[in-house]
Amino acid sequence: MTRIKRGYIARRRRTKIRLFASSFRGAHSRLTRTITQQKIRALVSAHRDRDKQKRNFRRLWITRINAVIRETGVSYSYSKLIHDLYKRELLLNRKILAQIAISNKNCLYMISNEIRKKVDSKEYTGII
Amino acid sequence: MSAAAQTFNGNLKKALAGIRRINLDGLRWRVFDAKGQVLGRLASQISTVVQGKDKPTYTPYKEEGDMCIIINAKDVCVTGRKMTDKFYRWHTGYIGHLKERSLKDQMAKDPTEVIRKAVLRMLPRNKLRDDRDRKLRIFADSEHPFGDKALEPYVMPERQVREMRPRARRAMLRAQKKAEQQELGTTNTRKGKKRDEVEAEITA
Repeated sequence: MTRIKRGYIARRRRTKIRLFASSFRGAHSRLTRTITQQKIRALVSAHRDRDKQKRNFRRLWITRINAVIRETGVSYSYSKLIHDLYKRELLLNRKILAQIAISNKNCLYMISNEIRKKVDSKEYTGII
Repeated sequence: MSAAAQTFNGNLKKALAGIRRINLDGLRWRVFDAKGQVLGRLASQISTVVQGKDKPTYTPYKEEGDMCIIINAKDVCVTGRKMTDKFYRWHTGYIGHLKERSLKDQMAKDPTEVIRKAVLRMLPRNKLRDDRDRKLRIFADSEHPFGDKALEPYVMPERQVREMRPRARRAMLRAQKKAEQQELGTTNTRKGKKRDEVEAEITA
């Protein structure tokens, strides 16, 4: 068989990977073999953390809402707020509540006071 | 600042240590009075404040807790027999050298360490822990050199105090009666009939 050199095929593949890892620190952006490994790790982390991001942000919103709600005094807390929200079928999610808490605390207090009021004879508006 | 510093007899250098390292804009100065407070419950509230978890702008990677000044650290209470039975233990690294010190001795030695340890052990063990430690200023008595800052007293939430156990209650009543009798001046150490006779004599 005729002799075939590999040529530039491998180099072309590796430059693409090198471009991806061009902003990494130290040997992770300079050495070819390390670059391939680090690219794989980076992509794996990104994939896994895209799901974790949703969880983390929800945790953050809950902490923030809790912080603001506890200032209402007495023994009001995030858990009671959520219970009241569900009871009154108010569809605000935690992201929006957290944003309200940061920008306009009084608005959140107004909402919480409104939903805490006892409704004697509520019209049945639930799902049948 | 200098006038307040002169009335403050304690270690001024220790009180002001590392203040420059903290970014103080927008942080409140909260004052906790530890007099009569239960140790753990107080430490729990302090740790929430120091982490900044009572603010709506809480971010887990930024350190934005308020400065906490704790006064009357020597008057902090513990329930049960913890005063004599709670031990702080540490190992020096040498074999067999597990050292321990009881709460009573620690209070005699340095009452601020008690609260500091309690709060520090309630903070999450991460890179921000040292910065949060720097925000705690604990003083054994009620004087502190931060009088010129805008101080806000922290109101502890109400606590359900459990009613006294029967034996403790009886002991307390007995101690009260004894104290009353001592005030009246007559200490009737005799029991039973002779005591009634003596009382009859006095009233007659």
